[in-house]
Amino acid sequence: MVSTLTRATGPRTRTHGRGARGPARSAALHATLIAASLVAVFPVAWLVLTSLKPRDAWQSSTVELFNSPSLDNYLQVLTQTAFLRWLFNSLLVAAMTTVLGVVLAATTGYAVSRFRFPGHRSIMWMLLITQMFPVAILIVPIYNLLAGLGLINQFPGLVVAYLTSTVPFCAWMMKGYFDTVPVEIDEAGRVDGLTPFGTFWRLILPLSKPGLAVAAFYSFITAWAEVAYATAFMTGDDKYTLAVGLGQFVGQHKAEWGLLTASSVLIAAPAAVVFLLVQRHLVTGLTAGATKS
Amino acid sequence: MRRGISVAAAAAALALAVSACGGQDTPTQPAAPASAADPAAVSGEVTWWDTSDATNEGPVFQQLITDFQAKYPKIKVNYVNVPFAEAQNKFKTAAQSGSGAPDVLRAEVGWVAEFASLGYLAPLEGTPALDKPEDFLPSPASSGKYNGKTYAVPQVTDTLGLLYNKELLKKAGHDAPPKTFAELKQTALDVKSKAGADGLALNVDAYFLLPFIYGEGGDLLDVASKKITVAAPQAAAGVKIVEDLITSGAAAKPAIQDSYTNAETAFKEGKVAMIFNGPWSNTDNLGGKVFKDNPDNFGIAPVPAGSAKAGAPTGGHDYAVYAGSKNLPASYLFVQFMASAESQAKVAGKLGLLPARPSAYTLPDAQANDMIAKWKDPMAAAVERPWIPEGGQLFQPLLEGYQKIAAGQQGSDAALQDVAKAYQGILKGWSL
Amino acid sequence: MTTQVVDGTAAGTPARGGARRPRGEGRAGRFLARHWYAWAMCAPVVVVTLVLIGYPLVRGVYLSLTDATEANMGRTIGMNTIPSTYEFVGLANYTAIVTSAEFLSRLAWTITWTVVCVALHYGLGLGLAMLLNRPLRLRSLYRMLLVLPWAVPAFVSAFIWRYLLNGEFGVVNAMLRAAGLPGVQWLDDPLWAKASVIAVNVWLGVPFMMLALLGGLQAIPRELYEAAEVDGATPWQRFRHITLPGLRPVSSTVVLLGTIWTFNQFPVIFLVTRGGPGGSSEILVTYAYRQAFEGIRNYSGSAAWGVLILVLLVVMAVVYRRALRRQGEAW
Repeated sequence: MVSTLTRATGPRTRTHGRGARGPARSAALHATLIAASLVAVFPVAWLVLTSLKPRDAWQSSTVELFNSPSLDNYLQVLTQTAFLRWLFNSLLVAAMTTVLGVVLAATTGYAVSRFRFPGHRSIMWMLLITQMFPVAILIVPIYNLLAGLGLINQFPGLVVAYLTSTVPFCAWMMKGYFDTVPVEIDEAGRVDGLTPFGTFWRLILPLSKPGLAVAAFYSFITAWAEVAYATAFMTGDDKYTLAVGLGQFVGQHKAEWGLLTASSVLIAAPAAVVFLLVQRHLVTGLTAGATKS
Repeated sequence: MRRGISVAAAAAALALAVSACGGQDTPTQPAAPASAADPAAVSGEVTWWDTSDATNEGPVFQQLITDFQAKYPKIKVNYVNVPFAEAQNKFKTAAQSGSGAPDVLRAEVGWVAEFASLGYLAPLEGTPALDKPEDFLPSPASSGKYNGKTYAVPQVTDTLGLLYNKELLKKAGHDAPPKTFAELKQTALDVKSKAGADGLALNVDAYFLLPFIYGEGGDLLDVASKKITVAAPQAAAGVKIVEDLITSGAAAKPAIQDSYTNAETAFKEGKVAMIFNGPWSNTDNLGGKVFKDNPDNFGIAPVPAGSAKAGAPTGGHDYAVYAGSKNLPASYLFVQFMASAESQAKVAGKLGLLPARPSAYTLPDAQANDMIAKWKDPMAAAVERPWIPEGGQLFQPLLEGYQKIAAGQQGSDAALQDVAKAYQGILKGWSL
Repeated sequence: MTTQVVDGTAAGTPARGGARRPRGEGRAGRFLARHWYAWAMCAPVVVVTLVLIGYPLVRGVYLSLTDATEANMGRTIGMNTIPSTYEFVGLANYTAIVTSAEFLSRLAWTITWTVVCVALHYGLGLGLAMLLNRPLRLRSLYRMLLVLPWAVPAFVSAFIWRYLLNGEFGVVNAMLRAAGLPGVQWLDDPLWAKASVIAVNVWLGVPFMMLALLGGLQAIPRELYEAAEVDGATPWQRFRHITLPGLRPVSSTVVLLGTIWTFNQFPVIFLVTRGGPGGSSEILVTYAYRQAFEGIRNYSGSAAWGVLILVLLVVMAVVYRRALRRQGEAW
């Protein structure tokens, strides 16, 4: 594919130009990345370790890595709670948010990046302003709006609410990426007789994969773990998403840490899979694509 | 077991969809005729938001629902467990919009006056929901009243008691738990010097400060004369006792974040001899390292008395009916059933939570759990809280004050003055 | 008719490509034909935003000029009717907030919090993105590990951090003690609590920044670097004159939005310290939330807070935009 092509050729030419990295520099590079990875992973690792301990073992005055490790918490989460339903609901909501969000954000971002139409600046400002009003204050009015539309306790209602927080960022982001794609490509498209939609779809989008990947992952994660809207809008427990369902493990006086951590691990896993899926697109085919057209 | 619920919920959702198509009959008449009607003829759906611990307590309440549906086969109950921390906000958001709120809510005692003042709750007088009102303990029952009407009936009640590790106290030379604040300090210091553990673990939380304030004859407010008394001499004397417990070392230096968990952890592992806590913690404590194999080591006593009395706040939960419910008759019947002495005794027996009906204590179900009897004395010292709509706002300023005192940032007098000032902003027209 | 006009401009008119004469008749028709594509591409977003955010915002501005609370906004719920008794009070809500003793100190801490967090997010994110943009063994693995904090639901991470930072029983202090150092009151001391919430927020936010910037780095044409190397530019010069300008469209966005988000970052503060100890780590949004949403909801007060925060952020955005424009980057 285009992306692999670039990865194969791009770096090699650079390495040639600069000469191979010395072993000391290489070691320093790896050391830095390993240190950063450790910091990033440590709390997550602790989460995993806690999930393997007996249900109440987290509450202990002594710090221990292992305490009779078992998968009991996972078993209980999977068989005795509605976890799988929450998972399904979350997947549904996150997938709808991601697909809709990326499409809407990409078209908007492209329009603003390429066309100087009346209102293009106000759109950017409008998107920005939606991010400025604190969510905590918006919940009640949005609830009333959705109630008026009959969308309370409905997935589409939640998705629409999520779009208001994902699309502005993604549109801005996509505009930024589109700005770095040379206009000559659009012009080439026009010369070939493509409509603006055609140019956007066939030429620009394939060149903007890194941006799309970031936007997709951002949308997914935002919808995947969102708590405030989901808690307020989903009133029946058959519609609970993961973040709301997880709240059930936190009682008034006591939290079920064993179950909470086990389900967190189970939640992080699909997010990691989505990241794995999109991350190869993080490498652009811009150079190759540009020369090709 | 939980999977059964989700299936039930799905079935309920399906039923709801079907009935929505068919145009559900919803008699929304005022309360009076409902009681006259034949209960067995009442039909429809009731959605109940339960805020109990979904893992440990929820199943017991679901069992009660099964019993209810066996008794009233025409009524379908939708059980929804709403995490306690979210429930108050979630209910208010839904209630004000008129869409999405449940028919029945398990409300913390402190929420009822606020919800009632906002018109969210249905008055229960003359409905089946208010059944045998004389058979409620007065303090919990008062939490359901607002402006002379009853808006909620108690589900469970609780208070704070002094929980202690008998062996550690014995090692320190005390056979009985302390009965006064002075004895509390002495016992704690003795444990520290003789038993190799800390004496007392404090939970830096406004609610847990109340026994000290009550003990010295103080309170946060004097509702009758509309006075803010949190900085008055009696309340201040109570807070000074806490301050002294910390500075003298009788109480271990308290954690400010996760204060409750840290105190519990220390108590369960025998690192501290005494804590203040409520009946909800029975199961948790008995699973601790020093009580698991020796449950007799776990002692429960009333909170120690100050110069005025021994007093601890009344807590617990009530059943309330949403005013906008589409099915009031069925909701009232549901509340009647759930708040009955039999139901309360079952909950008490299985969960060790205290019934709010005196008659429930004598039922075999409740007596099967020996924890219930042990909480009888602490419960006798329970003090009614100010049940006013603003009640829920009183804790945050006091918490901030307590945190500053516990961290040594501020003396108790200055901190309480700040709290009183904050209360003036909340309670318009009240005097100091 | 309309179709004909559309067909006439099938090739569209990208601004930078120079305008083409549309064949449509009449000014309005020409106007419509010329911008049809752009508007169609933006319409769904604009409609949803105007309904879902625009309406609450306008209503919020109105409410902020009244004394509306949950108790005096009229409604009927079943048998209960509450009369509407709220009144217009002008700017009273705003003056009450601005003159309150807490406002300035909360604002100062909120700004500190925002600046430190965004600076660390951007600095660390860019550093890591650049390291990961090199040819490197195990690059995918590093990228995966470094993104992990983002994959865990934020509220779980916040709980985990609180657990790790627990003064008495926490892992971090256990490690310090094992190394012979005294433990730190991470969450119980006002200053450390502030440092801790910043650390947690940085931990949570760096992966996102890193990915966004990595995407931006990938979009910079490699030919530029190659040409610079041929010209003998030093790594610093390449960074200064190729990387930074090349990243600008992306970084200006992430910095601007990152600032807005951090300013309004409710969950981290609320979940890690609950604003404590003694209210010391409370930022404006969490403070406003407590003021307006604890107990009987003060709708007018919360709206006033919201508008005030909005105005502060708009001012920030305008200043930021001016600064960008001076560098030749406008939007």
